[in-house]
Amino acid sequence: MGSFMKVLKAEMRKQHKNYFFNKSIYITLFIWPLLTFISAYYCYKPFRLDKIVGGLDYVNESNLVVFVLIGYLSLVFFRCFVQSAWRFSMERTFGTLELIYLTPANRLAFIMGNAVSSLFESIWLFVVFASGIFVLNASAYNIDMLSAMLGIILLIVLSILWGMLLNALFLFSRDSSFLFTVLEEPMEIFAGIKVPAAVFPIWAKAISAVFPLTYIAEMLRRIFIKGDGLVQIKGFVLISILIGFAILSITILCLKLGERHAKKTGSMALF
Amino acid sequence: MLRAEHLSKTYVTTDWSGFLKRKKSKVEAVRDVSLEMRGGQIIGLLGINGAGKTTTIKMLSTLLQPTSGSIDVDGLDGVRDAIEIKKRINMIAGGERMIYWRLTARENLWYYGQLYGIDNKQLAQRIERLLGMVGLAEKQDIPVERFSKGMKQRLQIARGLINDPGYIFMDEPTLGLDAAIAKELRGYVKDLACKEGKSILLTTHYIQEVEELCEYVYVMDKGTVIAQGTPKELALLGMENKVLCVELHENHERLHRSLTEACQSAERNCSIIWDGKNMAYTITSSKDLSSTVAKVLLEQQAVFKKFYGQEPGLEDAIIKLSRRDKDGFFYEGTEGRDEKTA
Repeated sequence: MGSFMKVLKAEMRKQHKNYFFNKSIYITLFIWPLLTFISAYYCYKPFRLDKIVGGLDYVNESNLVVFVLIGYLSLVFFRCFVQSAWRFSMERTFGTLELIYLTPANRLAFIMGNAVSSLFESIWLFVVFASGIFVLNASAYNIDMLSAMLGIILLIVLSILWGMLLNALFLFSRDSSFLFTVLEEPMEIFAGIKVPAAVFPIWAKAISAVFPLTYIAEMLRRIFIKGDGLVQIKGFVLISILIGFAILSITILCLKLGERHAKKTGSMALF
Repeated sequence: MLRAEHLSKTYVTTDWSGFLKRKKSKVEAVRDVSLEMRGGQIIGLLGINGAGKTTTIKMLSTLLQPTSGSIDVDGLDGVRDAIEIKKRINMIAGGERMIYWRLTARENLWYYGQLYGIDNKQLAQRIERLLGMVGLAEKQDIPVERFSKGMKQRLQIARGLINDPGYIFMDEPTLGLDAAIAKELRGYVKDLACKEGKSILLTTHYIQEVEELCEYVYVMDKGTVIAQGTPKELALLGMENKVLCVELHENHERLHRSLTEACQSAERNCSIIWDGKNMAYTITSSKDLSSTVAKVLLEQQAVFKKFYGQEPGLEDAIIKLSRRDKDGFFYEGTEGRDEKTA
């Protein structure tokens, strides 16, 4: 466990120094999500949310900003990993991945370090902004604190697991730009961040079911807007835990297959 | 001691011949390679590009799994005990990759030290010592992107020593460096073996480096070891004829006839080439004709500037060995390899 934490901390620190070396990055990290949040808000605004069949009856004109903000905040948690995983895949190109594989370092700790670092670097500014907006509107909501804490913990844990999966996929992928295209925009559309998932046809709903973000965003919205407690959200919690285990298993499998493939063929590109 | 026995590596490549059709083919990158590395020894692994050197190094460093054969590192099995072996080995490559440019020298070393799980106090001391050893102590807090090529390479050496490995694989460590820095780095490599007792496997295309550093050399071609020995022993393999050179002070009419007669009577097929511009003879023969030539020079009272036998060169030996197939034939060119002569 000690060496796992050592690798985790080292990887976090390295990624921080390597990618967040310039203070101006933090300005873009705020402006860019803010602009896309505004775009998401105006995407939602034309919908008569109270008329949509599928459980958005708790949304109205007065809580729409918070509704979109919660969804968007969850998206920021998940989306920051697509970019960081893409950057992470450069480790293979620069030859540093080979050196890392030359060490006895725990591979899972290595990709987790990158994920945790990316998460906290990328989202903290937007979280501060979102929390500010939420606090200003807080008096209007009746929140079950236990559910809220569980929801936030699940958001963090699941997004880190998602980040680890993306890191593992990008690390061993021949064409990371393809993965980037497939994973970034579709997640925003299909997880119900820009457009309510309830209005989608069946095939699109099937796609939205793949993204863990779909469940997390909906669960948080219900906790923070509708005031749902543990009993009401237990289904979401269960699905999130199951998805978390599935993601972790795929990540470990991908790492093992990737290393085995590299040892067999000399190439780090698994697929 | 690191001992590799009968190592072979065959890659399976897939070629798509149609949209759905794929054809698998096998490429034998390394075949039946055996070698040994002992403490304090610098071993050379030479060969032309594509000879199988990098594949061999990757197998020895646990990055590649051999198709057959075995690797034993201090009694540990190369496949089964790979994690334990990783603690005892490291690799240093030439070029500017494999380090993080936005990190400082100290941060780079700290990061790799953490991956090896080194205790923080011990790591701090080691970083201090290594930075001092490679002359980067004063530049330790400057981002690597501001380093010169030579400084980056020195940092690579320090990085390769961060886990205090017993066995170091150096893949062209002086690639692209100027003569002065390359010499300085050769000094570090020599010290690592002589003073610190490290065992080093060096691949390089610079023959001077091999002659200066390596105690023992393996020459590879087409995936197999085609020759091995000390640099001097190998150089002799490339030298099939003895070459004598005589440089005169002035032209000597009678000497030419006497020298030709004497040499040809000693060895019928010898060749004597007169370079009028430099007033020099080059005598090539399968026998040592130095006493015959010396006798003629004395008899004719020829005044000469220099009289010496040409030293055999390792470079020629490697080129020659690399062009010879297993039946002893020489290839006419390095590419194509379809014409061969006895």
